Amino acid sequence: MKLLSETEAMTRFALALPALLATLPVAHAGTLDLRLVDAAGRPVPDAVVTIRPDAGVPRGPIRFPWGTTMTQQDIAFNPRVLIVPVGATVAFPNRDKVRHHVYSFSKPARFEIKLYGRDETRSYTFKTPGAVAIGCNIHDAMNGYIKVVDTPFAAKSDAQGLARIAGASGAATVTIWHPRMKAKDNQVTMRVPLDATGTVSRRVALALR
Amino acid sequence: MRPAIRRGWTLDPRRSLSARLTLVYAALFALAAALILLGARWGIERYAERAINAEMQAGAKAFGRVTAMRYAQLGDAGRVLASDFGFRAAVATGDAPTIGSALASLKRRFDLEQAFVVDIDGQVTGFDGQLSEGKGDRLLGALDGGVDRGVLRSGGRVYNAAAAPIETPMLLGWVVFAKEIDAAEMRELGRLTSMDLHPAIVPVADLPAGTTLDARDAKVIARDGERILLRASPVPVFGGRTPLALTLEYSLTAALAGYQPMLWSLLGFGLLGVAIAALGSHVVAQRITRPIKALDAAARRVSAGESAQVPVETRDELGRLAGSFNRMVVAIEDREQRIAHMAFHDSLTGLANRALLREHVARLLARGQGFALLCLDLDNFKVVNDTLGHPTGDALLCEIARRLQAACPDAFIARLGGDEFALVAEESARTPDRLGRDLLAAISAPATVNGHRVVPGTSIGIAIAPHDGANATDLQKNADLALYRAKREGKGGLRFFESAMDEEAQKRRQMELDLHDAMREGQLFLMFQPLFDLGKGRVSAFEALMRWQHPERGLISPVDFIPLAEDTGLIVPMGAWAIREACRAARQWPDHVRVAVNVSAVQFRNPGLNTVVMQALAESGLAPDRLELEITESLFIDNVEGVLASLHSLRALGVRVALDDFGTGYSSLSYLRSFPFDKIKIDRSFIIDLLSSDGATAIIKSITTLADALGMETTAEGVENVGQLDILREQGCSHIQGFYFSRPLPEGAIAELFAEERARAAA
Repeated sequence: MKLLSETEAMTRFALALPALLATLPVAHAGTLDLRLVDAAGRPVPDAVVTIRPDAGVPRGPIRFPWGTTMTQQDIAFNPRVLIVPVGATVAFPNRDKVRHHVYSFSKPARFEIKLYGRDETRSYTFKTPGAVAIGCNIHDAMNGYIKVVDTPFAAKSDAQGLARIAGASGAATVTIWHPRMKAKDNQVTMRVPLDATGTVSRRVALALR
Repeated sequence: MRPAIRRGWTLDPRRSLSARLTLVYAALFALAAALILLGARWGIERYAERAINAEMQAGAKAFGRVTAMRYAQLGDAGRVLASDFGFRAAVATGDAPTIGSALASLKRRFDLEQAFVVDIDGQVTGFDGQLSEGKGDRLLGALDGGVDRGVLRSGGRVYNAAAAPIETPMLLGWVVFAKEIDAAEMRELGRLTSMDLHPAIVPVADLPAGTTLDARDAKVIARDGERILLRASPVPVFGGRTPLALTLEYSLTAALAGYQPMLWSLLGFGLLGVAIAALGSHVVAQRITRPIKALDAAARRVSAGESAQVPVETRDELGRLAGSFNRMVVAIEDREQRIAHMAFHDSLTGLANRALLREHVARLLARGQGFALLCLDLDNFKVVNDTLGHPTGDALLCEIARRLQAACPDAFIARLGGDEFALVAEESARTPDRLGRDLLAAISAPATVNGHRVVPGTSIGIAIAPHDGANATDLQKNADLALYRAKREGKGGLRFFESAMDEEAQKRRQMELDLHDAMREGQLFLMFQPLFDLGKGRVSAFEALMRWQHPERGLISPVDFIPLAEDTGLIVPMGAWAIREACRAARQWPDHVRVAVNVSAVQFRNPGLNTVVMQALAESGLAPDRLELEITESLFIDNVEGVLASLHSLRALGVRVALDDFGTGYSSLSYLRSFPFDKIKIDRSFIIDLLSSDGATAIIKSITTLADALGMETTAEGVENVGQLDILREQGCSHIQGFYFSRPLPEGAIAELFAEERARAAA
C-alpha cells in the first residue's frame, strides 16, 4: 500500500494539541481539507473520508446533515455514495417506474429487498460499520454504496475531489475509502496531526482500479 | 610422297573448323540452357517465397480472427456466469463448493479445460490442476492492469483464456474461462489455411536468432537440411512473464520439391537441346567445311602438279571461292603451258629451242633409234641484220623456218638462237646427204622479206646418231664441228662429221687453254725483222713479230696460234702487250728506226685500241711517228666508214699506219684514196713471182708508181734473193724486208746489227 501526500501547512504547536483539545469545545476544533486525485491527477469524487482521533470520538448519537435515504431514480442510486452512522436505518424509496431488486452481498450487511415498485419504500438498518455495496439484481449497471461509520468525522468528496471535515483535533487516523480503491477493503489510512483551530490541507493521490 | 588428305572430322578443335564451330555452338546453347534453368529456379523460389509469405500473412490474420472469436466466446461465457446472481452470491459469501460446482457445470457446458475464479486478493478458486507459485498474483496483476484475455501457460499446457469481472456491484474478482490450445486445436487452426503452416505458440526467447516479430517477410532458416520459412507474430500473454509468439512455418524445400520435376525436365530438355545444338551445328559446320575440305584436297592435288576442279554447289561465299579456285587452276595451267612452251620454244619462229632439241635428241637416243642431226648456220646473216635492220633479219629467220618446215615436214626443227637452226630427221626414204642438199637448195632460193630481195645461204653440219655421239651433248657438238668445217671450207656447203674433226677440235681447245697460260706466264715474246731503206742504205724499221715458246711443244708458229687468239678474243690483250713491248724495245734504237706492229681485225675493232697506243707511247717515251701500225685489207670487208674513222683517230695520235699484205683479198684502190696510208706493204706472193713472171714486175711497178703519186712509202715483203732485190730496186720500191736481208732477230741481236751498220758506214 502506498500513500502519497504532500504538506501544504503545518502548525508550530502540534505537540500541545492533545491537551488543548480536551478543554476546548468541539466547535473550536480544527478542520481537515483533503483534495483527492487519482494517479492521473484527476479529482476523485465519491470517496469517503473518516477521521478517528487518537483521543477517541465524542460520545452521543451521530447525525449527518445529508440524511439516510438512498433513492432509486432513473435506474440509479441517489446518492451513489451515502454515509450513515452505525444503527441508522436507510430508506430505499423507488422513484422509477420500473421495479428494483436491491441487494447487498457485503459482509457488514447482507440483505435483499426483492422487487418493489414505484413509490414503495423499503428500509434496512445497518448495525455494523463498514462499506456495503448495493446493487440491483434487475439492473446490473446500478450500483450504490453505503458507508456505515462509527465516527462523526466523515465526509464525501465532491466533484472537485474535495472533502472537508471540521471538528476533529489532535493526532488522528484518517481513512479514505472508495469503491474502486486498489487496496484491501477498498480503503487506505493515514496518520494526520490535526490542529486545534487551523486547517490541515492535504492532497492525496489515490490508486484506483 | 603426297600427304594423305585428312577426311571426316577430327576432335581436335585446333585442327578442325567444324569441331570448333560445334563446340562453340554447343557451349553457347549450354550456357543459355543453364541460364534459363537458373532463372527458372530463381523465379520459382521467389514465387514460392512470395506465395508462402502471402499465405502466412493471410494465415496470421485468419488465426487472429479465430482467436479473437475464441476470446469473445470465452469472455461471453464468463460474463454469463459472472452476472449470475447466485454465482455472485456464492462468490461474495466465499461459498467455495457452490463456486466450484458452478464452474464445473459451465466448463462442461462449454467444453472448456479450465474455469476458475481469481478474487480481488489474488486467490484462485476452481483451477483444475496445480498453479505455480505467485501465479494468482500475476493473474491479478494482469487483470488489474486491464488485461482480460490472452494466452495462459500453466503446467506445460497452453490455453486461450478470457476473464469476466464479478461485480456485486463492487468488484469481487474475475471468472476466467480457458480453452486449451492442444495439438488438435492447432491442427484445427492449421486447416484454416490452404497450406498447413504448422501454427505453434512458443516463447519468443525460443525463436531462432534474428527472427523479427510481425516481419513483413518470413525469415528463411535451415533446419534438418531443409530451408524453412518462419513467421512469428506476438500473442497477448495472460498472467505470464514469458512473452509468447505464434509461429507459422513452411518448408521452402518441400515447396520447391513440387517444382523439382519441372526443373529436372527443364534440365533434361536443356541437355537434349545442347545435344541437338551440337548435332545441328556439327551438321552445319560439316556442310560449311565440306567445300573447304574439297578445296583443300583440290589445292593439294594442284600443288602436286595435277589438274583439279571442285564442284560449285552453292552461290554463297564458299561457292564463289570454289569458282575462283577453279578459274585460278585453269589460269595456272594455262600459264604453265605458256611458260612451258616458252621454255621449250623460240618466241620468234615458234620452233623448238635448244633445250627441247636436246630433250628430243636424248629421247631418240634413249630409244636406240638412228637419226640424223643437221645443224644449220645462215651465211652472212649478220650483213642482212646490219644493212637491212633487225626486223628484216627476224623476218628472214621466220622465212627460213617456214622453208625448213616445208622442205622437211616430218623432221623435228629447232632454232638454236641467232641464225642457227637444227633439224632432226629420223630414218626415211631420204638419206641425210640428200636431205642436206634439199635443204641447201630450199634455203638458197631468193626471198623477198620486208620488200628487200635477199639471197640467203646456209652451211650444214651433219652428225649421225648413234654413231657420232652416244649422248645429246656429243652429238650436237659433233654436228657443230661439222658445221664449223663446212663454214671454213667455204659457205653454202654441207659436211658430215668425221672423228678427225673432233681430234682437231680437241687440239684447238688445248691450245686455247695453253694460250691463256702463255699470256700469264710470259711464254710470248717478240722477234724483230728489219726493214731496209734502199734509198738510204740502212735499216729504217723493225716489224715486231709475236712468237710463242710453248713449254712442251717448243716454238709455235703464229700461223697456228694467231687465228685461235683472234677467234677467242685473246688477241686483244696479246696485241696490246705486243704494242707496249714493241714501243719499249724501240726506245733503245736510233731515232730514225721505227717499229711496226701488226694489228689484227679483232684488235682494231676493239674500242680500247687508242688507249692502248697512248699508254704504250707514254710508258716508253717513244715518239709517236716511230710507231707504225700495220693493218690488213680484210678490215674493210664491212663497215668501211667505221674503219676509216678509227684510222683517222689513230693518225691523230701521230702514229703511222701501214697497209699490210697489199694486193691480196679485197684490195681496192678506193681505200688508198680514202685514207692516206704512210706505207704500203706489197704482199710476198708478188715478190715470189718476180723472177718467173713479167706480169709481176709490172704490178710492182704500178704499185710503186701509185704509192709515189700518193706520197706513200712501199715495202716489199719476203725478199729472199738478190734477183728479187734488183728488180725491186729497179721498179722504185723504197724498202725491202725478207730473209735476203735479215731473218727476224731477237731483241738482243738488234744492237749488234746497228754496230755492224755503223762499222759498214765508217768503212
